[in-house]
Amino acid sequence: MSVSPTPDGKILILSTISCADPAADAVGQAHLHHAANTYVIRVPSPVLFPDQFYYDCFEKGFAGIIVMSCGHECPYQGAFERLTKRIDRVKLGLKERGMDPGLLRLTAICTVCTKAYVKEIEDMNARILAAEQAQAETATAAVGGDAA
Amino acid sequence: MAEHIDEPQSGEQPREPERPAESGEQPREPERPAESGSTSPDEGQAPVPEEMAAEEAAVAGGEEPRIGVYICHCGGNIADVIDVEQVAEEAAKLPGVVSAKTNMFMCSDPGQQAIADDIAELGVNRVVVAACSPRLHETTFRGVLERAGINPYLYEHANIREQVSWSHGDPEQARDKATALVRAAVAKAGGLTALEPVRIPAEGAVVIVGGGVAGLRAAGDLARTGLNVTLVEKELVLGGRAAVLDKLFPYEEAAADVITRLADEVLEDTRITLHTGTEVKNVDGYVGAFTLTLRQRPEGVTLAADPDRVARDVAGLGWRYEPFRGYGPASAFDAATPGGDDAADTAASAGAVPAAGETPAGGDEPGAGEPAGDESAGTITVKAGAIVVATGYEHYVPPKGEYGYGRLPQVVTLVDFIKWLSEQPEGGTPTFNDKPVRAVAFVHCVGSRQVDGVHKPGPSGHINEYCSRVCCTATLQSVVDLKTRFPRVAAYELFQDIRAYGRGHEEYYERANKAGAVFLRWDGAQPPKVAKTKGDDFPVTVSCIDGLTWGEEVEMGVDMVVLAVGMTPADIGGLGSSLKIPTGADGFLQEVHPKLRPVELSVTGVLVAGACQAPKDVTESCASASAAAVKALGLLATGHVQLAPFVAHVEAEECLGHGHCVAECPYPGAIAMQDYPDGQQRAVVNPALCSGCGACVAVCPTKAIDLNGWSLEAYESMVDALLASGGEVAR
Ligand SMILES: Cc1cc2nc3c(=O)[nH]c(=O)nc-3n(C[C@H](O)[C@H](O)[C@H](O)COP(=O)(O)OP(=O)(O)OC[C@H]3O[C@@H](n4cnc5c(N)ncnc54)[C@H](O)[C@@H]3O)c2cc1C
Ligand code: SF4
Ligand code: SF4
Repeated sequence: MSVSPTPDGKILILSTISCADPAADAVGQAHLHHAANTYVIRVPSPVLFPDQFYYDCFEKGFAGIIVMSCGHECPYQGAFERLTKRIDRVKLGLKERGMDPGLLRLTAICTVCTKAYVKEIEDMNARILAAEQAQAETATAAVGGDAA
Repeated sequence: MAEHIDEPQSGEQPREPERPAESGEQPREPERPAESGSTSPDEGQAPVPEEMAAEEAAVAGGEEPRIGVYICHCGGNIADVIDVEQVAEEAAKLPGVVSAKTNMFMCSDPGQQAIADDIAELGVNRVVVAACSPRLHETTFRGVLERAGINPYLYEHANIREQVSWSHGDPEQARDKATALVRAAVAKAGGLTALEPVRIPAEGAVVIVGGGVAGLRAAGDLARTGLNVTLVEKELVLGGRAAVLDKLFPYEEAAADVITRLADEVLEDTRITLHTGTEVKNVDGYVGAFTLTLRQRPEGVTLAADPDRVARDVAGLGWRYEPFRGYGPASAFDAATPGGDDAADTAASAGAVPAAGETPAGGDEPGAGEPAGDESAGTITVKAGAIVVATGYEHYVPPKGEYGYGRLPQVVTLVDFIKWLSEQPEGGTPTFNDKPVRAVAFVHCVGSRQVDGVHKPGPSGHINEYCSRVCCTATLQSVVDLKTRFPRVAAYELFQDIRAYGRGHEEYYERANKAGAVFLRWDGAQPPKVAKTKGDDFPVTVSCIDGLTWGEEVEMGVDMVVLAVGMTPADIGGLGSSLKIPTGADGFLQEVHPKLRPVELSVTGVLVAGACQAPKDVTESCASASAAAVKALGLLATGHVQLAPFVAHVEAEECLGHGHCVAECPYPGAIAMQDYPDGQQRAVVNPALCSGCGACVAVCPTKAIDLNGWSLEAYESMVDALLASGGEVAR
């Protein structure tokens, strides 16, 4: 399998123990090779992370975050709905901070969603590459501006 | 850290929590522990009895972490891609790590022994294994810790096989990623504290709600294990929906025989208490200690668990099977009109005998003799360690006019047709409303696989998009039956798809085909039309755009139209409102996980059986009922319930009593505010009711509440470790 170009930035994947983490395992079992700039952390439900956690992760250096939840199959009552609202709010916060809100992505991955799992990573990497490119162009323009 | 804070005072009312300031969403009123809202331990409600709190408390911790890191080759599965020696070398440099080793197979005896040796010889007190998925061996390695004398929860796992060596082809990238994951695992391990599973004394009793085939199967299975069983059925008879059937596909056994066998088993097992005409009004408590309040109609019957019962009650009450009605005592069939809730308030249960472990409210003697108008008459209280919900389904009732139903007398449901056919004398021509029946049209998918814009939403407010699964085979079975007994009657099957999915189902299609049934295929957006025929030979005309003849409009005159009605979820009454059991978008009860935890509902100790979960046939309903019975036994067999310790806990020193966590928690009684001797209110978690979702963690402004084993701080340290230098992804 071909692997798309990988950006410099790292992706944090918050994967639910019931759904997305088994999917990440299934991706490996199927030897669906994908970019290695992905770091998976298992979590019972991502609803436990406060808004600040996401801002901190970006601040500390992650270029993208994919929250791989169970969606409506979430074993915890009301957790997905709460999570959806929180992620929407953080996305607004990212926008206010001048960041691409698409660098934080909430998705539902079930235990057998192997293709969707890989696609999420490819899409996020494409976004990070675009963000890196835009940043590089701004930097070049700034340097050019200074020079001028 | 602040000074030690004394235990909360028990028996005090939880305080109204404040609204979370942080959250942009509308906070909801916290659910009170059902009924009383009391936080008194001795009432069995939240929050925590002190002995439980003590068990919940992290036990070890405090000592300097001495971390052992063990990297597995997994033969070549990991080591062929990842240089595991280098990963171990990097791990050895991390703070707190006193041993970093590799092993050909960590799960093998020598691999496990290597960990045990380090615990004994080097004083390792936290362990990280980097190997295959934790789903495979996390419990194996926790077991090693336990056998070696340290708490099994002082363990962290890094998945470097499925999620690294099998996912990435580049050895350098894979090595760097594995190194980072091990670094994160070590960071988490350093902060782990010892935990004890939450142990709750458990009632050795199960309440099963619903006396259809699933409830009967579960009751029989459970009683044989020695647990006390109470079966609650809202109707006056047992057997559920299967009782309105004649023969059951795929083996053509009489529904009467199957139900009679299951019901006899229940009646003859004197460990089972049975309440008919009874519904669950309320449920309090948690796994191991549920209290159910039941309400019995005056015509309802109670058979108490009693070794002398067969002679005294079963025979005395004249239990029998009545075709198309069910299995019940003579009084159920002779009773005039069934009563409702109001009636339950004013009269006692006929033939009721108090059962072991049950308290009939309003006096020592339940039933006869209760004063009329007594509020508590007909109310029964039952204690149980687990609950099996087997409330089944309702047949879809077409609204007036759907395919002419309710307007044209010739249009009937499949359930009506099954009864009608069973009543036709052999030979000659069958008759309906005294008219000969020469042709019958069967319309599939009535009330199922509905299409937005084509079908109007039902009473639930939405359309039924799901497939009811059993109606295709049930319809084919009826067609085969009709054509076998009355070969001259024409049969038309108007279907979308034939979903004859189970063993022995497809054969009905083949037999119907061979017997001369005509199949026409319609598209979901263009259902067939049924109209009264004016002055024609046949009273009704059915028309359909037939996909099998490339869209030709086909019309047929018929004497009867049979609507293959599907299944709709049954109302589970007080069970649903007390326990907040989630349902799927289709309205059926939703299990925790369709594959990994298929008979468990999100409330621990509440299991699901039969067609209340999804459309199922009798085989599948009984299979899930037996599975639920085994799960209940697994929970209660030892006399106490052991729950994973991954629940929320509050650092009393940090809690300023905002109550945001209480407002955010979706689980009734899982957390409540409680008065402490210093006059301050603080949040207290009831580990028996806490699901460990962590919703509370996100909203605490002082970070006073956290999840055991999955703390926010641990996640933060993992993020730092993943981003730390060393092991950068090479490109
Ligand atoms: C048209 C049709 C034909 C079918 N033919 C076949 C066939 O030939 N072979 C086959 O294998 N399957 C067949 N089935 C499927 C079969 O009917 C079901 O699989 C079976 O009835 C499911 O059993 P159950 O116990 O889960 O639910 P149910 O039969 O619905 O029983 C549930 C019981 O719970 C009770 N209850 C409900 N709510 C409460 C409450 N709140 N409190 C207390 N009690 C409550 C109900 O009164 C009922 O007695 C057919 C289904 C249909 C629609
Ligand atoms: S089982 Fe057949 S008739 Fe029933 S809804 Fe599914 S496709 Fe339609
Ligand atoms: S972890 Fe979930 S269930 Fe437990 S107290 Fe917190 S919000 Fe409630």
